[in-house]
Amino acid sequence: MIVLENPLLEDAIVDEDDGENSVEEMEIVGALKSGKISEQGIKTISHVNNIPKLKERLEAIQMKLPWIETMDVTVDLKVPTEEMKLVINDNFKQEMLFYKQSQIGAQQSIARLKSLGITTQRPEDFFAEMVKSDEHMKRIKEKLISKQLTMERTEKVTKMRKMKKLGKKVQQEVLKKRAEDKKQMLDNVKKIRKGKADQEEADNFEINTEPETSSGKKKEINRKRKAKDSKYGFGGKKKIAKKNTQESYKDVSSFSSRIHSKPKRSAKNDKRKGGKPQRPGKIKRANMKSKSKSK
Amino acid sequence: MPDDLVVAQPPEDSVPSKKRKRPKSAEKKGKKKKGVDVANPVKKMTWTNKQRALVFAARGITFHARHLMNDLKVLMPHAKSDSKLERKEGLYAINEICEMKNCNMTMFFEMRKKLDLFMWLSMVPNGPSARFLVQNVHTMDELRLTGNHLKSSRPLLTFNKAFDEQPHLSLIKEMLKQMFATPNMHPKSKPFYDHVLGFTYLDGRIWFRNFQITDQTEGSLVEVGPRFCLWLIKIFSGSFSGNVIYENPNYKSPNQYRTELKIAASHRYKAKAEKNAKKAAVEIVPKEDELDEIFHTITQDELKQAG
Repeated sequence: MIVLENPLLEDAIVDEDDGENSVEEMEIVGALKSGKISEQGIKTISHVNNIPKLKERLEAIQMKLPWIETMDVTVDLKVPTEEMKLVINDNFKQEMLFYKQSQIGAQQSIARLKSLGITTQRPEDFFAEMVKSDEHMKRIKEKLISKQLTMERTEKVTKMRKMKKLGKKVQQEVLKKRAEDKKQMLDNVKKIRKGKADQEEADNFEINTEPETSSGKKKEINRKRKAKDSKYGFGGKKKIAKKNTQESYKDVSSFSSRIHSKPKRSAKNDKRKGGKPQRPGKIKRANMKSKSKSK
Repeated sequence: MPDDLVVAQPPEDSVPSKKRKRPKSAEKKGKKKKGVDVANPVKKMTWTNKQRALVFAARGITFHARHLMNDLKVLMPHAKSDSKLERKEGLYAINEICEMKNCNMTMFFEMRKKLDLFMWLSMVPNGPSARFLVQNVHTMDELRLTGNHLKSSRPLLTFNKAFDEQPHLSLIKEMLKQMFATPNMHPKSKPFYDHVLGFTYLDGRIWFRNFQITDQTEGSLVEVGPRFCLWLIKIFSGSFSGNVIYENPNYKSPNQYRTELKIAASHRYKAKAEKNAKKAAVEIVPKEDELDEIFHTITQDELKQAG
């Protein structure tokens, strides 16, 4: 018989002294599985399964209490054995099995509670401490949100990547088309140049030798040109543009008292002393020249 | 079970004034129910089942195991706690501790090598008791599950059919039932039903799950946690004592499992080494060079021999 004295020390201590007694007992019970000595004298590993004792112990601890004290339900899910093997090897299926069992059990129990006339649902204004604190739930929520965000972000990035790839292709096509157009245009120009002599002929036949400009492409704007045009003017009338108008007459913004209110410099009241003598006038110089020549 | 635990009804004054409200409401409910259904077998809603469970651990359990224990305590309003058991005290001392704490059953955790968590379930004075290896432990805190329920609402228990098929399992079922079921009208419990505990016997192990009932009419559930699974090792007839009345034939101790892994690894190494040795043993014979003969001078003797 196996007697447990200190389970911390050893799982089981086999006491062989009272072996005979126990063997007899077990044989009567019909559940003998304890150590047998084989022909070689080697003890084979065996396992105790004392069914009557188990049943006796069960009866001893069972309490005759109404169902409401324990509220337990046994659920038979009726999973075929073949499928059971699959369930064991598949975590997801396993969890599904647990869920189903609890779901069916809960439904049965709640129906039974209701039939006993017991309110099961908590009123909405009943607040009490929960198993998980608000802080914990907040953490869970944050985790969920961050998970969702990362998923969205990754989705966005993959989409962008795809778009970028597609955009590259489109751009390549556009560049190719542009190059082709340019080539065609140059060809046309060459043709025109070559066939200038035959222009009349072409005119006669109403052949449009110039490339079509209405291809939908906009002409590129030369920004520098535009700025200069706005500064210096381009096109339009030139004749009257520089004439004074009433407004320009009244406009005195260009007047500066510092410059314009000074007395005019003349030879007489030139206060500059020293320096270079003033250059004589044109006629004077000519006369001076002729005089010196005649000498 | 000691006699003092089966007290029929506590005196009214013994119920703390803070918690008096609940029994009152229950009485009201009882009245209502009487008005509705006279033939009901449940007569009066009073706290008659005075079972208490001592949930504690031995010294040397890791924080993870302690968290699991605390999670279970939260789920059991009828649980009492105690300081950790010293190693020198021995398991039999648990019976005395339970008696002192007025508990008629205990859930005791111990850890070996800071690796393997074992759980004892015992009905205290007279047994039986069972020892399990606890595997796949996930505490409520580490599982980021969205479910939540009232702290001490009474759980609905579900078992699968496999528990009724073998005598040792039906005994375990009865023990689990008494351990996890909160007694009706327990002063710490709340009179609503919003969570289910699922015990499933699958693959030789007992799997534990805790679900919140989100919709009672449809019966939709959300998991709350914790998760663990129990691997039965032995059942003893007494409480931390007595004969072994069941021994799991499929149980393999974690130590044995680890040594087997090591042996398998060493086999792998040996096989590899042997293969390498074989490779090395094959001698490389150099090829004869045909051009060597060109420079061979034929001697007179050789000519004679050739005839």
